[in-house]
Amino acid sequence: MSASEVVLSAEGLAKRYGEREVVSDVSFALHRGEVFGFLGPNGAGKTTTIRMLVGLVRPTRGRVVIDGHELATEFEAAMRKVGCIVETPDLYKFLTGRENLEHFARMIGDGASARIDELARLVHMDERLDGLVRTYSLGMRQRIGIAQALLSDPAVLILDEPTNGLDPAGIREMRELVRRLAGDHGLAVFVSSHLLSEVEKMVDRIAIVHRGRTLAAGTLLEVTENGAKSLEDVFLEKTGGETV
Amino acid sequence: MRVMLGLIENEVLKILRRKRFRVILVVLAALLCVVVFAQNRQQQNQRRDHPERNWRAQVEKRAGDLERQMNQRRGIPEQWKRWMRYEAGRLRYHLSKNLDPNQLTGPMFTRAFAGVGSVLLIPLLIAVFGADLVSSEFAEGTITLLLTRPVARWKVLMSKVVAMGLFTTLTLLAAFFLAWGISGVAFGWSGWGAPILTGFRLGGASGAVGFDLSGVRTVLLWRDTFAAWGLAWFSALSVGSITLLLSVVFRSAAAAMGTMMATLVGGTILSRVASDWDGAKWFFVTNLPLPDYYAGLPTPFEGMTLTFSALVLLAWALAALTAAFLLFTRRDVTA
Repeated sequence: MSASEVVLSAEGLAKRYGEREVVSDVSFALHRGEVFGFLGPNGAGKTTTIRMLVGLVRPTRGRVVIDGHELATEFEAAMRKVGCIVETPDLYKFLTGRENLEHFARMIGDGASARIDELARLVHMDERLDGLVRTYSLGMRQRIGIAQALLSDPAVLILDEPTNGLDPAGIREMRELVRRLAGDHGLAVFVSSHLLSEVEKMVDRIAIVHRGRTLAAGTLLEVTENGAKSLEDVFLEKTGGETV
Repeated sequence: MRVMLGLIENEVLKILRRKRFRVILVVLAALLCVVVFAQNRQQQNQRRDHPERNWRAQVEKRAGDLERQMNQRRGIPEQWKRWMRYEAGRLRYHLSKNLDPNQLTGPMFTRAFAGVGSVLLIPLLIAVFGADLVSSEFAEGTITLLLTRPVARWKVLMSKVVAMGLFTTLTLLAAFFLAWGISGVAFGWSGWGAPILTGFRLGGASGAVGFDLSGVRTVLLWRDTFAAWGLAWFSALSVGSITLLLSVVFRSAAAAMGTMMATLVGGTILSRVASDWDGAKWFFVTNLPLPDYYAGLPTPFEGMTLTFSALVLLAWALAALTAAFLLFTRRDVTA
């Protein structure tokens, strides 16, 4: 596999709700084996964009292509290549971690259930797998969520604010897991965040989105002009320093 | 197909683990115990108060009372009059055949429960587990995972429709066996082979005093019961389909359940109160007591027949399912 192989591309995505255009023009491409940071202030259209990437929201314009399959017309083939956690990892709280994984494995078929134990070990949940999700901490739910996302052996992993609500140890563990998945397993990992310092430590390339448009995109070095500026400066410059 | 079976397994697992269905069984059993206890007490009291009287005399008196009230008292609503005429005619016919219309056995009770239950009780129980089939996935946020798996949305909803059908069937089976089992304790479990008279019909046009006996026939109780519960099952499935639509429309199970319950209770009141406005006969609730209409009990509106009611229910069910599929497969899932 070549490092520059595109596994997911978003082309001119836009979403309008009535009069309000939440996303106007978002384009980017994800390559195999990289961690891609999707940055923007709160309300920039990050979550709506992610929902369009995984078929929860139908774009008004533009298209999403995943591993050669267009999402709008080949939903099942495209989604087989994607694992995702949108916002919080909401699992069935009245089921155990294992039952949740079995539930989603049955939706995939193809022996996905045979991967459950291996994935539980990968996210260090093998010992608590038979406890009810109700009794899990947020970090544990997040990890079961990632195991769930990896069940279909995807090419792309989409994580929406994956470090939200985690303690420092949880954040570090998440970061290491993401790096490992991209490095050792060759996944393209898409990470959205509004926490710059967090993303800086984890990503290879970034895109900055503001008011529903992608403003800057490239490697960290490219965006920071070979380190001449800090990511924070670039971010504030591009987004006009607006806070929420 | 393999994936579809997996999806159905998922839905069954979720319904069972939510424990709603167990609540339904407990409610059914508790309610049946109370009803059977009350009927048993009533029967005992009658025997105690009139130990000397035979059943013929009792039935004779009841029929006579009805006929007197019908002819003497003024201001009785037309609907009640229709029912009184029907009941008096039914009693008279039983007398002429020398059959006790009130003889109560477990199987008789079970047969009657199909009619009584399919008006309100069974639809309400179905609303209890059906209302959160889809809405709970939205309320608990699991919808985002459910719809981002490589399974088309229509398949996800189809698995929920199948689960709804399965559990509706289970509810009916449970209601049948609980009714028989519990009533049998008081009235005896045997008697399925008893001959019963069915097919009574009010004759002539509205206001006519006739009672049409041409359709009256003797059937064995087990056959009659089988038909009645089959019709109750059909009604229940239509209720399930409409509940499923509400579950797709509302994001909270409470809203879906509340709407369904209000509709059922409101509809029942409507068919009793507004007998002048016959537009109400197109409303699904009016048509739910299929087992009663099959038994020949007077319908709330002129011109309603068993076939008419079954077709109205079918149309409602198909329309509800179509709307549910259109909405579920097109809707944007936000927050």
